[in-house]
Amino acid sequence: MRWIASATAASAALVIAYLALGGASYAPAQPADPCVARDWRDPGGFQEVAEQIVLSALDGVACELHVSREEIVLALSSRESFDRFAREQGISDDELEELARSGLVRAVDEAEEADALNPTIADLLRGLARRIPISELLDLLDLLPGGR
Amino acid sequence: MTLPTRTRTALLGLAVGVVLADSSVVTIALPKILAQYDVEIETLAWALTSFNLALALSALPAALVSRRRPVPVFAVGVVVFAAASFACAVAPSFGVLVAARSIQGVAGAAVVCAALDLLARTLGADAPAARVWAFAGIAGAAFGPAAGGILTQLLGWESIFVVQVPLILVALLALAGTRAEAVPLRPLERPHLAANAALMLVSGALVAALFLLVILLINGWRLEPLAAGAVVTLMPLAAIAAARYAHAIAPRWVRAASGVILISGGLAALGWLPHAGAAWTVPPQLAIGAGLGLALFALTERALAGRSAQAVHGGWTIAARHAGVVLGLLLLTPIFTADLERNEDEVLAAGTSAVLDSRIPPLDKIAVARNVLVAVDDAKAEARVPDIGEVVGERDDPAYADLASALQDQLDRAATNACSRSFLVAALLGLAALVPILLERREVGL
Repeated sequence: MRWIASATAASAALVIAYLALGGASYAPAQPADPCVARDWRDPGGFQEVAEQIVLSALDGVACELHVSREEIVLALSSRESFDRFAREQGISDDELEELARSGLVRAVDEAEEADALNPTIADLLRGLARRIPISELLDLLDLLPGGR
Repeated sequence: MTLPTRTRTALLGLAVGVVLADSSVVTIALPKILAQYDVEIETLAWALTSFNLALALSALPAALVSRRRPVPVFAVGVVVFAAASFACAVAPSFGVLVAARSIQGVAGAAVVCAALDLLARTLGADAPAARVWAFAGIAGAAFGPAAGGILTQLLGWESIFVVQVPLILVALLALAGTRAEAVPLRPLERPHLAANAALMLVSGALVAALFLLVILLINGWRLEPLAAGAVVTLMPLAAIAAARYAHAIAPRWVRAASGVILISGGLAALGWLPHAGAAWTVPPQLAIGAGLGLALFALTERALAGRSAQAVHGGWTIAARHAGVVLGLLLLTPIFTADLERNEDEVLAAGTSAVLDSRIPPLDKIAVARNVLVAVDDAKAEARVPDIGEVVGERDDPAYADLASALQDQLDRAATNACSRSFLVAALLGLAALVPILLERREVGL
């Protein structure tokens, strides 16, 4: 029985050590909750501000659809994948457009609150967000860098 | 001309080792075989399953035939095994490869079962013959992946089978001076069910250690076959060291139970690896190797001890072990495949997240995110992990280096996590072997 006890102790020690070192949680990172606002990074120029507005808008849409921001980005890889995503979510093009517009407006609001945009530019961008032809923009997806 | 006893014993042991190494020897070569024959990953598993299934199904019939005429059965088995090995090396299609592997399994069963009878004749007693036979079989199966890795990298996967031809044919020298007359039949006793059931369950559990670990090292963590072969050599070395001192542990059921507990502990640790990297597999491999040396040896001895005719009971153990391998492959492959798909989705999301949160220019993020998608698709088709260098590109900017490192970390996590549940299920399968061992412990001898 001494040998069985030794084998059990050695096995348990090994397993406990690996679990204590994080073995049970060593998996790909889970995407962040899109409904929780992210901190604005110190923007270094127009491109960075624009990027954070887009990311924030994506969070807004993802939060409304109860999916992750990353799922939307992956859906945006082509018009085809975007249409598939819309079908899976059971939403029409008009609903998606409305979600995208409200997401953009929310993102501009957040940028203004974070002092990344002055009120005049923010007003201009909000107006743009309400009129931008989103469905035409989606047709340009395949022309973006890395597009197939 | 008759060879010295020691040489004949070594040659017969070599034949057993070569045949049983075939159970796992092509594991490391699977990606190369996949690349050559362009088959589905699910189909590829037949390169392993066909051999083990044929061996499991033929072991008992082969043993029943060889107990009467072991010399011709051994000779024919060796020649057919050599021819089938050569056919594997030059197979023009995957179907031919699987057919040749099946013939290898049938011929291998004849070789292994007849070798046990011939060893008993050579050594003049059943017990030492059983020890040599069991040791050769365990060493062969455990060294299989390492030998396959070394040969695949140095000479190509076909060399695994080419090398087997002279190795198995040389064993024919063991028959020099042996007369091929029929052996008087001894009464046949019933097989030892508990020992064989435990052997089957332990062998099923060991599929994860002998097959899945190799896949994780090469396909998941991108080790070269040579390096992966060197890493998994630890297991047979630990098995041999444990088998050498195993007789100090008595009674036999204690040895078997201790071994099974070590195997399950090692497999559970592989299921809960805290990081990617070969070094993290060392302690679990040592536990599994030591457990393998203790459990398989004790259970094989128990299945053969005092049973007549020994070759037939040897056939039962081979059938049990390789039925266990097939059971392990059938049980673990769907779990592993499902977890691979789940982790593919998760790593895509995690990789996208890493790209979006990186500090590279915004327009580059779109290109890199799309590269991630393309690389994951391409890698899936070729059963490998994506090359992060291709995804991010070679640039001096530290922001790109940080992104490459973040993506690599996510890939490592996904590859490791994809194997996790399979290792844990294998650990449970191993623990299940305790049931027949403990049920039989009151019997004298176990």
